[in-house]
Amino acid sequence: MKLATYLYQRQERLGAIDAAGRMVDLHEAYASYLRAIDANPSADELSRLTLGRDMVEFLKRGDKALAAARKGLAHANAAQDREVLTLDPKDIRLMAPVPRPGALVSAGKNFSDHVAEMASKQGPSSPVAFLKLPGTVIGPRDDIPHPPEVKNLDYEVELAIVIGKPCVDVSQDLALDYVAGYAAFNDISARDVIRGENKSGIHLMGKSFPGFAPMGPYLITADEIPNPQNLKLNLSVNGEKRQESSLNYMIFKIPEIIAYWSQMGLHPGDVLTTGTPRGVAAGRKPDQPAWWLKPGDVVEAEVENVGRLRNRIVAE
Amino acid sequence: MQIHLGLSEASLPDQTRLFGACDGKLVDLNLAYAAYLSQTGDTGAYEQAAFYFPQTIAKFLERGEQSLRALEQTASFISKTGVGKLRGPAGEKLTYTPGEIRILPPFQNPEKSFVIGFSDRARVEAMPQAEIPSGFYKLPQTFVTNGAPVIWPKFAEEVDADACLALVIGKAGKRIEQAQAWNHIAGVTLLIDITARDINRREGLTNNNLLGKNFPSSTCLGPAVLLKPARKELETLEIELAVEGSLQQKFSLRDCVFSVEQIVARWSILGIKPGDLLAIGASMALKGDRLQNSAPLKIGSTVRCSSPAIGELSHRVVAPGGLRR
Repeated sequence: MKLATYLYQRQERLGAIDAAGRMVDLHEAYASYLRAIDANPSADELSRLTLGRDMVEFLKRGDKALAAARKGLAHANAAQDREVLTLDPKDIRLMAPVPRPGALVSAGKNFSDHVAEMASKQGPSSPVAFLKLPGTVIGPRDDIPHPPEVKNLDYEVELAIVIGKPCVDVSQDLALDYVAGYAAFNDISARDVIRGENKSGIHLMGKSFPGFAPMGPYLITADEIPNPQNLKLNLSVNGEKRQESSLNYMIFKIPEIIAYWSQMGLHPGDVLTTGTPRGVAAGRKPDQPAWWLKPGDVVEAEVENVGRLRNRIVAE
Repeated sequence: MQIHLGLSEASLPDQTRLFGACDGKLVDLNLAYAAYLSQTGDTGAYEQAAFYFPQTIAKFLERGEQSLRALEQTASFISKTGVGKLRGPAGEKLTYTPGEIRILPPFQNPEKSFVIGFSDRARVEAMPQAEIPSGFYKLPQTFVTNGAPVIWPKFAEEVDADACLALVIGKAGKRIEQAQAWNHIAGVTLLIDITARDINRREGLTNNNLLGKNFPSSTCLGPAVLLKPARKELETLEIELAVEGSLQQKFSLRDCVFSVEQIVARWSILGIKPGDLLAIGASMALKGDRLQNSAPLKIGSTVRCSSPAIGELSHRVVAPGGLRR
């Protein structure tokens, strides 16, 4: 299932993509299903209760909500009044599928070719990650503001792994059972700000300006991605290919990073990202200045079979 | 006034309420304001009280000056009536002894909760030449408040504590000039930053700061927000941290490497909102010409952080898995 969060008439709604590729309002579709089976007069309330108000609540409700979403979607696919349950793409604006993750744990130094291009001495001995502020998350087509403080704006295509169950101290063998689904992710980075922060030993701001985490377009449920480790990913700027690799080259594989970060306790709606392969502007020689993102650039980050993000850089 | 976020016995888990500390009692501010309004003959007393004293301190701060004025009116109504005689418009109980209220961390889910600090590696050399107040993020899911155990993370060998004074943002803004910084501060609360130091040291090698700072109960916050202290009072508030009764850290904002103005100007670049927290730690404060050291903890230790005008956080360190619910 392709799950989505979108704005419709300035309201945040939960959706899923139907067989014809159209957006189905999940609350409406499940309520319609409930009314169809027994003319349930409390269908709207029951639908809201079962699915939750937003994606994090939906994920917290677990298998019950997921089953309800599937029923609603099947009902919409079969319904006579299909037009009523689907929305014209013109009327909606896609948000990130998880617009406000509880924690956004973003892996660093997790592809050996990227470690080499960043002139780091060696790969880490245990998984490395940092927190991006949840407020940095934006939708798959939203603009990325270029802050006036930033000179070296960079991109990093990654896979976002969305946690679906409370996940504490899990083993690698079981780690994938805790995944609700996947989305494409672009870890936007202000390299010059990070360099400045690193003098004091810690970086945070350079990864966490507003809009520095485009995610989406949909949350592809885990059942549709049996081998996430084999996914290929690529990124282009203004149509020019900059990054192209496979998650097979991750140093710490997906089950390892889930198991490792589960030590701090992960919750439904938390997001882990995989780290990025080589090809970022920070590793470019000799024409590096030409590679930094600047207002007007369009950056497209794609994880094959998961989705593609297309974001324009705009001056803030 | 000290404002607490809490639950009374009859409240459901999401029905949090605001309580003001008065004469050793906790007064339900929403009901007290409703009582004040109904006494003046106002018909919409409950609705107005629900607006000005909503369910969270962050929402209360969002309401801005009007909520603060309502708080002043409530405070003078309470002192005129006397805490012992207070009742809601329909005779509801609104005064509690502290033991009757379950106090919660004053902020449940701030968008930004930063601790300003240096990494271990940088602490030695960065202090004289540090130009910017760098910081790290404490996840809201790590928050606990006074009385809760601090659970020793099973992945760590060394755990320690730092006392912090957390500035509470009361007014939204972005790229705030230093001269305007104080207008955006609504008050302060206490924060103990618990660190798994061996993990933190390893993460510091890559300039990161995550697992060592963000495990369940690694952020003790509260117990109350001291609202709108005068700037002079705020700068001289003394914050102490003691382990097993022995004083380990003591500082005030005057001792800090970076000023409140510098910190607000720097971090407001990202935009700040009511309820956001910018915590300044003892480890950023000087003792003589040196930065203060973190206080090592052991399983069984009791760590206390206190400042008379704000209150006290007291936490016992327990073994992992030793917590029975």
